[in-house]
Amino acid sequence: MPSFKFWRSRPELEVDEELASHIELLTRRYLEQGMSELEARARAHERFGERDGVRAQCTTISQRMEARVRRAEYLEELAQDLKFALRTLRKSRLFTVVALSTIAIGVGANTAIFSVIDAVLLEAPPYANASRLMVLFNSYEQEGLSKTPLSAPEFFDVRATMHSFDAIAAMRPRPATVVGNGGPPEGLSAYVVTPNFFQVLGANAAYGRTFRDGDGIANGASLVVLSHALWTRRYGADTSLIGKAITINAAPYTVIGVMPPGLRFPDDALGYAKSPADIWIPSTYDAQNTPPNRGNQNLIAMGRRKPGATDANIRTDLGLVSARFKRELPDRYASLRAKNWHPIAVTLQDETVGAVKPVLLLFGGAVAFVLLIACMNVANLLIDRGSLRTREFAVRLALGAGRARLLRQLLTESLVLTTFGGVLGVAVAKILVVVLTRLQPGDIPRLSSATVNGSVLLFALGVSIITGLLIGLLPALQQSRTGLAGAMNESSRGASDGKSRRHTRAILVGVEVALALVLLNGAGLLGRSFAALQNIEPGFSAPSAMTMYTSLPRTRYDSAYKIANFYEQLQNNLATIPGATKVGGIYPLPMSGEGWSGSFDIEGVPENPMEGPHAEFAAAMPGYFGAIGIPIVQGRDFTAEDKIGRELVVIVDEELARKYWLNENAIGKRVNAAAAPGVFETVVGVVKHVRTEKPEAFGGPQIYLPYMQHPQGMIYSVVRTSVSPNTLARALRGAVELLDKDLPVSKLQSMTEVQLKIVARQRFNMLMIGMLAVVALVLASVGLYGVMSYLVTQRAREIGIRMALGGQASDVRWLVVRESLWISLGGLAGGTIATLALSGVLGKMLYEVKATDPATYASIAVLLLSVASVAAYGPARRATRVAPLEVLRDG
Amino acid sequence: MVIPIRGDLLQGTLDLLVLKTLNWGPRHGYGIARWLEDTTGDALHIAEGSLYPALYRMQQRGWIDAEWGVSEIGKRIKVYTLTDEGRAQLKNEFAQWSSFVNAVSRVMATS
Repeated sequence: MPSFKFWRSRPELEVDEELASHIELLTRRYLEQGMSELEARARAHERFGERDGVRAQCTTISQRMEARVRRAEYLEELAQDLKFALRTLRKSRLFTVVALSTIAIGVGANTAIFSVIDAVLLEAPPYANASRLMVLFNSYEQEGLSKTPLSAPEFFDVRATMHSFDAIAAMRPRPATVVGNGGPPEGLSAYVVTPNFFQVLGANAAYGRTFRDGDGIANGASLVVLSHALWTRRYGADTSLIGKAITINAAPYTVIGVMPPGLRFPDDALGYAKSPADIWIPSTYDAQNTPPNRGNQNLIAMGRRKPGATDANIRTDLGLVSARFKRELPDRYASLRAKNWHPIAVTLQDETVGAVKPVLLLFGGAVAFVLLIACMNVANLLIDRGSLRTREFAVRLALGAGRARLLRQLLTESLVLTTFGGVLGVAVAKILVVVLTRLQPGDIPRLSSATVNGSVLLFALGVSIITGLLIGLLPALQQSRTGLAGAMNESSRGASDGKSRRHTRAILVGVEVALALVLLNGAGLLGRSFAALQNIEPGFSAPSAMTMYTSLPRTRYDSAYKIANFYEQLQNNLATIPGATKVGGIYPLPMSGEGWSGSFDIEGVPENPMEGPHAEFAAAMPGYFGAIGIPIVQGRDFTAEDKIGRELVVIVDEELARKYWLNENAIGKRVNAAAAPGVFETVVGVVKHVRTEKPEAFGGPQIYLPYMQHPQGMIYSVVRTSVSPNTLARALRGAVELLDKDLPVSKLQSMTEVQLKIVARQRFNMLMIGMLAVVALVLASVGLYGVMSYLVTQRAREIGIRMALGGQASDVRWLVVRESLWISLGGLAGGTIATLALSGVLGKMLYEVKATDPATYASIAVLLLSVASVAAYGPARRATRVAPLEVLRDG
Repeated sequence: MVIPIRGDLLQGTLDLLVLKTLNWGPRHGYGIARWLEDTTGDALHIAEGSLYPALYRMQQRGWIDAEWGVSEIGKRIKVYTLTDEGRAQLKNEFAQWSSFVNAVSRVMATS
């Protein structure tokens, strides 16, 4: 039957052989007819005819046949292997369930994290020029604030000077409220943009058009482009809206276009442009009528680099800008105070997701560890099973199956396993992605768009295959190394083969423990760091404080008097709410993500051009300090009488008082913080310092201005409550509606929520690594349990003898637990070294805790060893129940 | 003179002749050539080398099987056997051949 066996040698040689035989037979025939040797040979060749062509034809056909046979043979073997693999998996149910779920967890976690990385770092945003966009800033390195947007004159100068960009656009956020069309008044995220904004992005309108040159500047109607989201949400996706006017900030704006779904640039926080756009409005000035103030740096400028422009070209251009600015305005750009000033260009990608990249890569590394642990666990199970199947393989080897053939079969089995595991893993990933997007702190850009898409599936497939090869190779090599004789002898337990297997397994589990330890250490460090963050005294008392944000449209509240009047009334309304004990207001609210800082002068101290006094500013309503729980240490709070026209006053914090008036009384001192040059404000109170940016940042000295003397048009109302803060949300909103039912209310949140939001990223990191570490620990202890069970089975005879000779049950238990502890200690040593080697990665994400913190390492080590003992205890107890006689008989 | 086999007609005819030959029993290439020579009184004068591409092609199509055997002078040589498929093919081609010959004969008989 297997006639193709003959075809295994090289086809052209066989063809030659056959043709030669033919010619020889012909020659012999002619010799027999009496011809001379020479003549006979010549006749034979003549009779045979042309030979080379025949030979070539035959060889080609023969090679084709050979290839076909090989293919068929291969497919048949593959089918056999698959059938066999499925049968073995069906037969050992428990093994299959454990292995499949382990792989599903490993592949699932990796796929989920990959889908996040894909969405955040790899996927292109929905506008054509994303990869060519760069954001331009003023950089003031080493001066506290590292970079600022551009002022209008700077923007137009940069635009005229830089030639490595083919277009440069600018945008700035602007609070906007839309009313009418049936909906309630709604605060919108609006951006004022240069008309070329959408061209620079490379995005076209889905309906209508985007801006053209001259839009916004001509004296015609004001124009607006809507985001698809707002258009569908508020206007029911009505195409007839284009060309009609809507009311924004109490003025009519003509809708000229709607952008495609998904485009809400800035989709991700970009500098101080934090929220995705609802609407875009064209800028009302161009190079000819630019506002002259270079201090108002509010334009986020984005350039689209020319196709051929190199980084060097851009650096040259920036150098030109720098030289021009320093030459034309040396006071501003070449003074000592601005000694580090230089313009910079950052790619949009770096600017938006550059900061989260290390975190995502950390997660990627952590899930890779989990997958490795999962792999080793399954490899361990396979070795375990291999030991049961040694005889099967020995028989097959004896029956002539090649070693490579057996190896292939084992790999097929593990690949079948990981393929199914991978399919389950994709399901796990789908769930995890949903969980992740729910859990996320909100500041990881584009995370919400993470899905299990085509490239993610491809990744899962790749991971499954690699996993399959990894978990298959080790047991397969071990299995096929087992010699025939050795395998037949396996019946005698404790043979050298069993021992080597036990060592392999111990090493695998040791590595598992080491990997799990790295994750546990990471989680422990992040946890301690987070706890440290939580324990920081921010300087105010968050519990039972409720906050609310309102912003008054300038069109209706067009004077300081109107604004002050509104907020005074609002404060009165809030005070009448049952459950509200103290009421105040502030702008900006501590830890809200908004900040305000600037320089000030102290009366009697000459201006220092190098380093003027610098402070954090805020405008506070009377009662604010009481409402948020900041103690007044000296002097008084603001009162209703600190208003426009009265004496200018300020309240400072202890830091400022200590820094500038160490041994003096701060009360009565005079500073120029927000007044006209030469006019001074009197310090009337000193309060405790507050951490305003984030818990881990102590912040600078602080100056509070009386809100009623400096009405800002926006305020965070703060209400101290005698009831649970969030229950007053409706009442707070009601207090605003009573005064102005068109005024949108937002950020209704308790101070505790505000605080949580600011540490949300750290919390998210801790939770992620923590969950992965728990999974890793569980997997590693399952691995330990498995190895200990195996050990007990392997050494059953020895244990039996010990028991028979009167050994104590506790001794036997100790024998097993000791082995487990040895493995864990090995893992512990390796894992600690690995953690130390990797500590640099984590170091930057930690607060107050060093990445080499011995206390954390020690407690994690204790945790790990306890888990290891528990994992070993089950098999250890089983060992004591070994019936001596039975074992000795069976052995 | 030896005529190389050329053209579709002769090619198909050669296949038919080889199949018919093997129908009498397994033979190697040389054997097939001899048998054809003897039965036709060497009227065909074919170049014997051209048998081989035909043999390989028919083997590829599954009409014949090949196995190594030993020749009369003790050298390894391939021996070809007709398969069931080959037998069916022979029947088929023979029917076509007959109808072709009949048609031609009828035309010739008209003169």
